[in-house]
Amino acid sequence: MLHDLELISVGKTYPDGTVAVSDFDLQVEKGEFVAFLGPSGCGKSTTLRMIAGFEDITNGELMMMGHNMTHVPPEKRPTSMIFQNYALFPHMSVRDNVAFGLDIKGTPKAERDRKVDRILDMFDLDAYADRKADKLSGGQRQRIALARGLVVEPEILLLDEPLGALDANLRRIIQNELKLLQRELGITFIFVTHAQSEALGLSDRVVVMSNGVVEQISPPRELYRRPATPFVADFIGSNAVIEGTPLGAGAAGMGRVDTPLGVIEGVGTGSEKLAAIPAEAFRIAPLNTPGELHLAGTVSHRQLVGAVGHLRVRLANDQEIAVEVHADRPEVKALVPGTPLTLGVDPQAVTLIHA
Amino acid sequence: MESRILRPTLAIYSGIFLLFLYGPMIVLAILSFQSADGGPQFPIREWSTYWYQHLLGLAETSRVSQLPVGDSLIRSIILAFMTTVVSTILGVMSAEAFRTKFKGSGPAFYLIILGMMVPGVLVGLGMALLSNTLGISRAWFGTSFVLHVVYTYPFAFLVLLAIFNRFDRTVEEASMSLGVSPAQTFRRVTFPIIFPGVLSAMLFSFTLSYDEFSRTLFTAGRELTLPLAIYGTFSVEIYPNLFAFGVLTTLFSFTLLVIYGLLMKRFTSKASRFKGQEEG
Repeated sequence: MLHDLELISVGKTYPDGTVAVSDFDLQVEKGEFVAFLGPSGCGKSTTLRMIAGFEDITNGELMMMGHNMTHVPPEKRPTSMIFQNYALFPHMSVRDNVAFGLDIKGTPKAERDRKVDRILDMFDLDAYADRKADKLSGGQRQRIALARGLVVEPEILLLDEPLGALDANLRRIIQNELKLLQRELGITFIFVTHAQSEALGLSDRVVVMSNGVVEQISPPRELYRRPATPFVADFIGSNAVIEGTPLGAGAAGMGRVDTPLGVIEGVGTGSEKLAAIPAEAFRIAPLNTPGELHLAGTVSHRQLVGAVGHLRVRLANDQEIAVEVHADRPEVKALVPGTPLTLGVDPQAVTLIHA
Repeated sequence: MESRILRPTLAIYSGIFLLFLYGPMIVLAILSFQSADGGPQFPIREWSTYWYQHLLGLAETSRVSQLPVGDSLIRSIILAFMTTVVSTILGVMSAEAFRTKFKGSGPAFYLIILGMMVPGVLVGLGMALLSNTLGISRAWFGTSFVLHVVYTYPFAFLVLLAIFNRFDRTVEEASMSLGVSPAQTFRRVTFPIIFPGVLSAMLFSFTLSYDEFSRTLFTAGRELTLPLAIYGTFSVEIYPNLFAFGVLTTLFSFTLLVIYGLLMKRFTSKASRFKGQEEG
């Protein structure tokens, strides 16, 4: 099976020995929307630039549709890159910016004009076609950059924090447009961002990175439900991570960890030392179903944000954890700081992870 | 409050500054309209354009011979043009190279800059000695030309270095990511964006070379450039025809400046006037 994009233990080490990215493995299918997510300096942009060809790959192989692209120059790769600062050509009109790629390729004038007109129309840019690109607003410039990158019909579109420079409202609008566009075109999108909401809201799969290493590759929902590493548990959503000693396997697919708060059962093999519990998995009124985990604590802080109540609860071992509850529930009103409570958790919601 | 005193003071100061700056040229311009029997000083006996006619060989020959600047003027313009082309090309290429750090880029930078720092007379003298030793004959288009490039190239280099400093590399990456080769990217994206800097580098190179004196003095050989030819006339006696010539060359430089200004203006407003313009 040929993957649209495949990274085989791709890595980059600078001449001075600094490792930017190591052992990056990823297979992307045609039409997939994959986001690289991580804090700044985690290597996500470097990886994207290696895929585009702007950074040398020092280890591993980069394949695109079965062809080895590891050392192919950027202009010969079937990729197109969208930059955070748009990188429009300031000396050209909007139309010339968009037509540039086709122009250089020697596309016949009639065909070029047809394609450019169609994409300008698609991005609602026809009215500005003859304006100078850098005289337009951020949202318009972002659309020009997308039009310019897509008109050359790349197999893979690479987006480097494309929404980073836009204000919140515009970001949401362009975010929606991107998703629709990607579905419509059916081409592969690789999207780099440090904003969780973008990565989780847009993509089919998310690659979480930290310190140049891939932490986890999962669909967005899985990242919340089943963090694979302590970093992901800490970075995505808000998980309570409780440390203990492994107690071995329990029921099918379950493992157990002996913690200062008692034995915690969760999804895993039983060789893990940590139990991660998502903030929204806690029940403030335990159901007392068999196997339900009970944790006693005291409310230390309460904040209501719209329909969500954010609680900080101090557990018996003095660890403070985040708990999210529906703010409308009657019990929440009584949970002022200092109130003791017992939290209930379904073991299926607990993920055991290696330290 | 403060600006009521400060502003007029600064205005007067600026006025005086400009007067001192252009004073010599104004005096020169006034004296160039001296009458045929007048000397190179005040008072003006009678206003006339005699010395301009004399300069261009239109007046009947008199006791004063025609200013021998014709050939040297052409030489100087050719030399300045050659220097401009070579220095600007070198400047663009080396500034492009200095965008990334390379082995020895530090020393290389200072070696280039040294070309405009070292005293011209010494370099000229050194070049003369060197060419004598090597048996190369001195000529304005040879030894002088080399020194003019050594002198003007650092200026072109510095101008372009400053331009590249503010240059957004992602624009070039965007072009390459659209399938455009590095050579085409330079031609269609990089060069148009740095073009104002290239123009400035050219202006610097031309004007510096055009009136270069000290480096040329020992290296031009028998055929003189304009500054040397003018200096040569001093040793005889000064007549107002020299002033007339000064006015004309100033006008020439001014014309260059206007062309530069027009090109800059035309360039910076080019994209906005682009109305879906097609080529081919």
